[in-house]
Amino acid sequence: MPEPKEIFVRVDRCMGCHSCELACAVEHSSSRSLYGAISETPRPKNRVYVEFVPPSNPIPLLCRHCEDAPCMHACIAGAIVRTEEGVVITRSDKCIGCWTCVMVCPYGVIGRHLEQHKAYRCDRCPDRSLPACVDACPTKALVYLTAGDFSKGVRLTASAGMLTGQGG
Amino acid sequence: MSGGTNRYVIVGAGAAGMAAAEAVRSLDKRGSVTVFSDEPDPPYFRPLIPFLISGKKRAVDMAMSGQGPYSGEGMDLKLNARIRAIDCQARAVCMEDGEKIAYDRLLIATGSRSRIPGEIEGTSIEGVFAPRTLASARAIAARVENGRHAVMLGGGLLNLKVAFALLECGLKVTLVVKSPQVLSQLMEPEDTFLIRDALNRAGLQIITGAGARRILSGSKGVSGILLEDGREISCELVCIGKGVEPNVGFDHESIQVDGGVVADNFTRCNVSDVYAAGDVAVTFDPITGGRIVTGLWTSAVEMGRCAGLNMAGRPTEYGGALGILNATQVADVAFVSMGMVHTKGRDFETHVCGSAGAYRKLVFSPDGTKLVGVLLVGDISRAGLYRSVIRERMEVSGIKSHIINHTLHYGHFIG
Ligand SMILES: Cc1cc2nc3c(=O)[nH]c(=O)nc-3n(C[C@H](O)[C@H](O)[C@H](O)COP(=O)(O)OP(=O)(O)OC[C@H]3O[C@@H](n4cnc5c(N)ncnc54)[C@H](O)[C@@H]3O)c2cc1C
Repeated sequence: MPEPKEIFVRVDRCMGCHSCELACAVEHSSSRSLYGAISETPRPKNRVYVEFVPPSNPIPLLCRHCEDAPCMHACIAGAIVRTEEGVVITRSDKCIGCWTCVMVCPYGVIGRHLEQHKAYRCDRCPDRSLPACVDACPTKALVYLTAGDFSKGVRLTASAGMLTGQGG
Repeated sequence: MSGGTNRYVIVGAGAAGMAAAEAVRSLDKRGSVTVFSDEPDPPYFRPLIPFLISGKKRAVDMAMSGQGPYSGEGMDLKLNARIRAIDCQARAVCMEDGEKIAYDRLLIATGSRSRIPGEIEGTSIEGVFAPRTLASARAIAARVENGRHAVMLGGGLLNLKVAFALLECGLKVTLVVKSPQVLSQLMEPEDTFLIRDALNRAGLQIITGAGARRILSGSKGVSGILLEDGREISCELVCIGKGVEPNVGFDHESIQVDGGVVADNFTRCNVSDVYAAGDVAVTFDPITGGRIVTGLWTSAVEMGRCAGLNMAGRPTEYGGALGILNATQVADVAFVSMGMVHTKGRDFETHVCGSAGAYRKLVFSPDGTKLVGVLLVGDISRAGLYRSVIRERMEVSGIKSHIINHTLHYGHFIG
C-alpha cells in the first residue's frame, strides 16, 4: 500500500482566521452548504480547533491519528478502529458515550456530541480527495501530504515536528 | 523453546490477556499463542455487560474479536478451560482435568472477581447477583422478568451502571450506600452534588450511610433486605457492587502474591518468564510510587500490551497506573476522575470551582508544582491533557492558571 497522506500543520503560517473550523463544520453537516449548516440543529460540529498560545499565536489542533492511538486501546466498547488508510475513527453505532477516549487523548481533540451522546473527531473527510480544512486554509498552514513528502518538502519547524509526534 | 519457536501461554482472556496476545503477535509471527479462559463466552468487552441487562446490546455485539484493535487472529483460544495450577519448575500450566501445557513465556491475566462481603448474611440466595460476567448479566436479565424492585448494595460506578440498566427495564431501583455519598472511591461527598441531582432526576432511590445486614428470602428467592439500622426493604433482586478482588485462586509455589500477583516495572513476576497484567497484577502508581492494584480496563490493556511486547522479546517499561482513571456519564452528567482526588485532611493545594452545570477540582502537590489529581463534572473537554500532565509529572508553573481555569489546550505544551 502506498504511504497514506496525513494532515500536517505548519504553525508558522497560521493566521488564526478559523476558515478551517468553518469548512470542517460545513463538511460534517447534513446539508454540506454554509447556508444550510448555519440553520441546522444540532449545530454541525467542527473537528479542528484553532487555539491561541500566548501572546497571540494561533495554532490549529486536530486528531493526529496516532500510530499507537491511546483512544483506540482505551475504548471500553471496541468502537475505535484504524482504517486501512491509517485513519483512526469512532464507529458511532458502537460508541456508548462513556468518554474514556476524551479522558486519554493526549491532544485533547476528541469532541463530545451531546445530542447524540457520541464521541467525534477528525475523520480526514472520507468523501473528499482533499480534507475540507486543508482546502479552506488560505495560507497553506494545513497541508495534506505523506509523511515523507512533508519532511522532504517543507522547512520543518521544530514546533510542527512536535505536533506530529506521538503521545500517550 | 521448542524448535526455535516460542510457546506463549496466557491465562485469562479479558482486556489484559487479549491485548497481550495481540502484542505478542505483532512482534512474533511464528510462536504459538494459547489463551485460556474459564468463561464459556468468547472474549468480550466486560464493561458492556449492563447493556445485555437493558437489552440494548446482544452478547455478540460485545465480542472483542474483530473490534477496535483486536483482530483475534493467530491465537488458540480455549474456552471453558480453567487453569488449576501453575508449575513454574516444570514451566507448565495445569488444567482442571490434569492436562499440562508447557510454556516458554507465561502471562497471568486472570483479572478479578466481585468481592462478596462476609458480614452480609444471605448472599447466596437466589436473586442475589454480583455483576461481572456475561453469565451474571444473563442471570440478572432472567430475574428481571419477574422482579419489580432491585436493591443495589454499594454506590460505585459498576452498581450505578447496572442500576441504570435496571431502571431502563422498568424496575424500581434503590441504591444502598454505606458511605456518606455515592461514588466515594472517585470523589468526596461535596464533589457529588451535580451527580446526585442527576441520579435523583433519573428516578434512582438512594439511601446513604446505611449498610445491609441480611438478605431475606421467600419461596421465590430474594424477598427483601434488612438494613443494619433495622429497616426492611422488600425486593426481588439484589446486586452487590462492593469492589473486586484479584483472581489468585490457582495453585502455585513460587510466584509472589501480595494482594495480587506482584509485577515489576517490566510487568515481570518474581519467577523468570512469568508476567502479570490487568486487574490481577500489583503494579505501581506513578504519582506516589506506591504499589497498587487497579480495577481498570484502560490499565489492563496498557499493562497487557506492555507484557506482550516484553514476552515477545522487546523490553518495554510500563509507565505505571493511576489508581483512579475513570470517565463516564451518569444520567445526563459526564464526569472524569483521575489521580489523587481525595484531599480532605491532606496537605494538597486544591482549587475548586462549581457552577450550575459544571464542577471541577484540580489538585496539586503541596508545593504547588505538580498536578496530581483532577475531577471534572459536566464539562470534561480535553480531559486527556490533564492525564498527560499528571502522568509525566510535568512541572506546571507555566500552565498552572490554564489548568485551574480549565482553559488548557495542547498548544500550551508547545507554545
Ligand atoms: C459493568 C462493568 C463496567 C466497567 N466499567 C469500566 C469502565 O468504565 N472503565 C474501566 O476502566 N473499567 C471498567 N470496568 C472494569 C474492567 O472491566 C476491568 O478492569 C477489566 O475487565 C480487567 O481486565 P482483566 O483482563 O485484567 O481481567 P478480567 O476482565 O477479569 O478477565 C480475566 C479473565 O480470566 C478468567 N480467569 C480467571 N482465573 C482463571 C483461571 N484460573 N483459568 C482460566 N481463566 C481464568 C476470568 O474468568 C476472566 O474471564 C468495568 C467492569 C464492569 C463489570
